[in-house]
Amino acid sequence: MTQDSLVADNLPYLDISDPGFSIRSDAVMEAREASWCARTNYGLAVLRYDDVQKLLRHPKLRQGSYRWPALNDVTGEFARWWESMLLSQEGDNHARLRRMANPAFSPKLITTLAPKFTELATMLIDEFAPKGECDFIAEFTEPYATGVICELLGLPFERWRELADIAAEMGLALGVTFKKDLPTIEAATKRLFDYVEELVEARRAAPKDDFIGMLIKANEDKSQLSDQELLDMIVLAIFGGIDTTRNQLGLAMATFIENPEQWALLAEQPELGRAAVEEVMRVRPTVTWVTREAVEDFTYNDTPIEKGTTLHLFSQSATSDPRVFDDASFDITAERKAHFGFGGGAHHCLGHFIARGDMTEALKLLSQRLKNPRFNGEVEWLPDSGNTGAIRMPIAFDPA
Amino acid sequence: MKVHVNMDICLLHGQCVIAAPEIFSFDDNGDLHWVEVIDDSQVADAEAASDACPEQAIILG
Ligand code: HEM
Ligand code: SF4
Repeated sequence: MTQDSLVADNLPYLDISDPGFSIRSDAVMEAREASWCARTNYGLAVLRYDDVQKLLRHPKLRQGSYRWPALNDVTGEFARWWESMLLSQEGDNHARLRRMANPAFSPKLITTLAPKFTELATMLIDEFAPKGECDFIAEFTEPYATGVICELLGLPFERWRELADIAAEMGLALGVTFKKDLPTIEAATKRLFDYVEELVEARRAAPKDDFIGMLIKANEDKSQLSDQELLDMIVLAIFGGIDTTRNQLGLAMATFIENPEQWALLAEQPELGRAAVEEVMRVRPTVTWVTREAVEDFTYNDTPIEKGTTLHLFSQSATSDPRVFDDASFDITAERKAHFGFGGGAHHCLGHFIARGDMTEALKLLSQRLKNPRFNGEVEWLPDSGNTGAIRMPIAFDPA
Repeated sequence: MKVHVNMDICLLHGQCVIAAPEIFSFDDNGDLHWVEVIDDSQVADAEAASDACPEQAIILG
């Protein structure tokens, strides 16, 4: 059966590339009630918890965004990197790269960074807190998310702006104007690779058991991690670690502003910090779906899925599925089943120990220092689909 | 050394299978299996798997 003949099955339809489409709309909830999946203008959308859970680990599916540059008819250095980096690899090659990268992302290494996260968050809050207002994105989440990556790379915090700008320019590649923005994207990619090469040279000259040091160690056996793969991996950590964390923390603030009693509770009980991160990522994940592609024909839930079919696993809709969450309202004290905000299976986010650690420290401190946070002007949002979040969020609060 | 996986918190990501394929494996039904007693030569692999587990479900001892 082709995707066209699925039309005949009367599956619900969602236009996911319409900028007005919202992953939290009634249309998505109605579709979730009608069927386990919906047709979209580009592949299928999987809507329910159990199906997202199973399909994230399904042996007949591979990660689906590897073809993004080819789909946009784009070649060049960005496309080369995108197609060869960890997320785009499968099977033995993916496993080898992941094994080589694991030690640099291990929880042991991250624990040593926790005091740095606290220091960084405190420094940023001290800057704006006396005013009683700020743009939460420009003054906190962006410098914080980038500062954490600087810390990981052994760069002084002062370099954050430079890194954030390069990552943002490279990030244009994920947008609809990819092809038009290509010259900017290619220039940013080249700058980032030059930058990372310098970092590696510096670490080779002054060896240390930090993040880059661990990757350099893995690179000693070039058959396991080549020089190019070493650079590709560091570029991925920068590319994959900044916007995600920036957006997720912005979504956290928005969620708490809508649930003030939960913010007060967190301030009283900072040990709920980690649970707060998990609950925010359940109700408002920045990565609202992950993409998979069928590597051969197979049947799932009596639905034939043809080789090459794209499936968007709707994390956002899965973790508000009433089949699994009786009362899905935001509650940082509730025992919950796992969310999919970091994906799952072989491609489960490699940076999750870092992200969980830095967001926990940030939310704990923010809840202590910013009382009664509220919106203080127009919040500018990315579309409520794909990778979402706020790009501007003026807030006011009572400093404590 | 003994290897144990707390199946109450394991979410079957298979990161242990990637990190230490001689110790952890999936069967055709997707169930996780592991070698319960390992020798000294496998300890480093088991530790790598335990570190890599996103749910921190692997207990070594
Ligand atoms: C709140 C912050 C973050 C979120 C929400 C997030 C989310 C995700 C998701 C959903 C995936 C899986 C994508 C897929 O399956 O298609 C992923 C993969 C990945 N993430 Fe993150 N991430 C975050 C932070 C980070 C950080 C800080 C780093 C690195 C420093 C990082 C590095 C990676 C890498 C390397 C992969 C690819 C893993 C693989 O393919 O095996 N992430 N992330
Ligand atoms: S890595 Fe952890 S959660 Fe995943 S299968 Fe292994 S033990 Fe289970």
